Amino acid sequence: MNAWLWCGTTFLGLGLPPVIWGVASGPLSRRVLAQNTGSTVVALAFLLLAQGYARPSYTDLSLVLSLLGPVGTLVCVRLLADDLSAGASRWSTAVTALCVAASLAVTAAVCAAAAPGRPMVKLLLIGALVALGNVIAARALSVGVLEEADGTR
Amino acid sequence: MVSEDLVVSVCLVLVAASATVAVAVREPVRQALVLAVLGLALAALFTVLQAPDVALSQLAVGSVLTPLLILLSVRKVRRRGHPTGDEAQR
Repeated sequence: MNAWLWCGTTFLGLGLPPVIWGVASGPLSRRVLAQNTGSTVVALAFLLLAQGYARPSYTDLSLVLSLLGPVGTLVCVRLLADDLSAGASRWSTAVTALCVAASLAVTAAVCAAAAPGRPMVKLLLIGALVALGNVIAARALSVGVLEEADGTR
Repeated sequence: MVSEDLVVSVCLVLVAASATVAVAVREPVRQALVLAVLGLALAALFTVLQAPDVALSQLAVGSVLTPLLILLSVRKVRRRGHPTGDEAQR
């Protein structure tokens, strides 16, 4: 078991329990935010695990999740617009900043270990998609709520 | 070999925790969100068990399709159940 696998395990072990706790309690907006954070955490863990297993094709999992995770959150935000009108979670900005920082750090670490060329470009693309998807979904969670509230009142 | 099992154990514990939470949460809308996280944990478990193809389909089904189906059903049931409620005003 190498250092990448240790990092991936630590990432999963430290990142997902707060997500499960956040999705299990509190107001609905915090639960959606926790679900969005969970997809980011698992996508980054997939990047680390792919490096740990020395299987570059495992990064496809991360690529798929970076596209599907925000879609799932946006679906929730769209269908739960009525229930989310109470306002966005106050942790939204801090959690999003933490997710973006984590994806930058993980992408930099994985790119430093990858060979220059197409694999590195793919890793950079995946890292950018993960960070961007998290920001877009969190923004839709807070801004979409405001638009919905303005539209109904 | 023992340390390889550590990754699997962590993922198994996460799957068990999120599945327990999915059972404990009673409201279907909130359950859909917990199910999305359970799908993510299951995908991580399949990946560390060296089954990335299963994990790919689990990602698609668990994180998007199941919550979408549940939320759409809840929406339809609410509309049908409360025709004079706040759903009818929109």
